[in-house]
Amino acid sequence: MRGMFAAVDGLLRGKRTDDAALRDNAQALPARLFVPAAVVLGAIYGFFMAWYAIANREMDAAAQQALASMVKLPMLFLLTLAVTFPSLYVFNALVGCRLGLKPTLRLLVSAIVVNLAVSASMGPISGFFALSTKSYPFMVVLNVALLAVGGAIGLGFLFRTLRRLATRAANEEYDELANTPEAPPMQSQASPFAAPAELNAGQSAQSVRTAPVPSWRPLTAREVFVNGRVGSATLIFWVWVILYGAVGAQMGWLLRPFIGHPSMPFTWFRPRMDNFFIGVGQNLLELLGGGR
Amino acid sequence: MAGRAANLVAALLDGIAGRAGRGGASAPSLRSLLVAIVVAGALYGAAMGAWRLEGERWKLVVFVAIKSPLLIMATTAVVLPAFFVLNTVAGLRDDFGAALRAIFVGQAGLTLALASLAPITQLVYLSGVGHRAAIMTNAAMFTVAAVVAQVVMVRHYRGLIACNRKHLLMLVAWLVLYAFVGTQMGWMLRPFIGHPQIEPAFFREGAFTNAYVEVVRIVMGR
Repeated sequence: MRGMFAAVDGLLRGKRTDDAALRDNAQALPARLFVPAAVVLGAIYGFFMAWYAIANREMDAAAQQALASMVKLPMLFLLTLAVTFPSLYVFNALVGCRLGLKPTLRLLVSAIVVNLAVSASMGPISGFFALSTKSYPFMVVLNVALLAVGGAIGLGFLFRTLRRLATRAANEEYDELANTPEAPPMQSQASPFAAPAELNAGQSAQSVRTAPVPSWRPLTAREVFVNGRVGSATLIFWVWVILYGAVGAQMGWLLRPFIGHPSMPFTWFRPRMDNFFIGVGQNLLELLGGGR
Repeated sequence: MAGRAANLVAALLDGIAGRAGRGGASAPSLRSLLVAIVVAGALYGAAMGAWRLEGERWKLVVFVAIKSPLLIMATTAVVLPAFFVLNTVAGLRDDFGAALRAIFVGQAGLTLALASLAPITQLVYLSGVGHRAAIMTNAAMFTVAAVVAQVVMVRHYRGLIACNRKHLLMLVAWLVLYAFVGTQMGWMLRPFIGHPQIEPAFFREGAFTNAYVEVVRIVMGR
């Protein structure tokens, strides 16, 4: 348990995703520690989510809701991972960094751990409001907002790591092209996108980062190549983020209730109807319209 | 077995991504690209046809698994002669092999991206969405996959364009022709999701009508 939290702490401090650590993704991001960590952190946030039920329901129903929320919150993230993992792997393999199947999975689990660690740290805020308000719509909107903050930070972590990996992959690709004795004809032209066999004369083989370049200096061929590769990887990542967000939201809707409406009996799952955006929109309107 | 399949897919993705021959991966042959288009297209087709599986609707899973790769391949077959002649007229005949490979790579990228999105389509179906939302979901998945495919195809085409700017014109011509023919092909091969009140069938009644004329009719309110 202590090892697990030490690993999560290292992840949050960025020690497990620096350049040196990423070379051995299996060591730096061990799934055997991070999957249980995601379950524990999710259960912690789920427990705080259930405080509203504890404050507003009979003890039996509240205990059932607490158990359900603690089980379903980690499930929400792990099932969303299962649904969106194939697309991230394929998109990344086609357009982004050269990350294999298992390393991609480990990286995604790590992003979920960051997400859940941030969410769990905000659990007491949810618990505090659960005890101090009777408004169900307020609690729905608050929890969506808190989870969205955790999600944004988790995705930010994933984005930064993938960008770094994509930059490294593009540099390696550039070096490989430069070392190819006979580059394919379609890539051996004097163009910014051409094989660097002819372009890198006089250039050092050191890697470039995608940091802004002073405007007075023209971009080197390597920089153009790397920026192009990383730019398309970034575009595809943002497309994937929209999918991930929509899937996560809908998965949450399918697995609801997490908080438990005070006037409804306890149930593990509610009937399938509408979608997340309609549901949260209704709660938001109710809240803005003075709903309690 | 699963590990071998994963390695095969990884090697294919590497080749399609344009890293073939550089990191040890072999360039995908036209045959392996065609196999990828058929298998991945069928996989997404099966997922697309699996909306509201009740009664006889399971037939749509099989029908659409057949029709999805058919849509891509048949559209390609119709457009290819014109593309070949246009390239020849533009003086790009010598590069036609490389151009064709770039196009097949783009199509393989499209179907593989679609197959990877199949779990998301299934999740949306599982949420109990209606017919219109199911159509919109698939439209969204095709849009996302098309963005990925474009990036991959343009990456392969870039070298050709660097050789000769006319290749850019050819690429645009391919995309315009493909979209034009593909729209009609999709109309003829419908249903892909299947209206709940219409009996599942391989072809819908009135399949061999003109999609564009129908659109004009709808717009003009006739």
